[in-house]
Amino acid sequence: MSFQEKSLWLLFVSLIGIFGVYFASVLPGAGRNVTPGQIGLFAALVALLVVIQIAGSIVLAAAGKLSGSLAGRHDTDERDRFIGLTSTRNGSYVLVVGVCLSLCAALVTEGNFLFTHLLLGFWVVAQLVEIGSQLFQYRRGA
Amino acid sequence: MGKGAGLITNGIRALRFQHGEMTQQELADKIGVTRQTVNAIEGNKYSPSLEVAFRIAKVFGLPLDRVFQYEEEA
Repeated sequence: MSFQEKSLWLLFVSLIGIFGVYFASVLPGAGRNVTPGQIGLFAALVALLVVIQIAGSIVLAAAGKLSGSLAGRHDTDERDRFIGLTSTRNGSYVLVVGVCLSLCAALVTEGNFLFTHLLLGFWVVAQLVEIGSQLFQYRRGA
Repeated sequence: MGKGAGLITNGIRALRFQHGEMTQQELADKIGVTRQTVNAIEGNKYSPSLEVAFRIAKVFGLPLDRVFQYEEEA
């Protein structure tokens, strides 16, 4: 498995974990508006996500260097860029649907909670679709 | 794909072995891509850019159409 694939798996799993914790925390007691506590939790979890990504990338890079898989190799090429572009397109479809639904929700509901979390939820799903699409294409050998 | 789409096949695997059993990694290093990309090209799962196709042909010292073939779908 290449360094890119390992990095993608790390991001995929950490996104599910971090936002799984966030939504499991805020959805049961959902009110009309986003509370300062929810904003604080969101900021803390995003910071944790950044730390996990940095630490994970360092560990993966160090492991790759130890096994010699990164030495003198081309890290990315035209195929990686092609896979990245098609995956971004796939994720953007989900995001567009999410934006439309969030705007509809904003029109028919009071407060900002539903709008904000619907948008955030679809952004997370769009990211997962994008990363999943990349992983699928790498595994398929495209 | 649209009308007229076809399949690009190649003989890279055979050419590698005819050129001193060159590994995928060695070919990848010569043409500036990853080993995974060479593997995908060999398996006809990824069609390379013209630039990479010409680089591959140059490594084997052959014209492009001796390395890559285009088969139009019926």
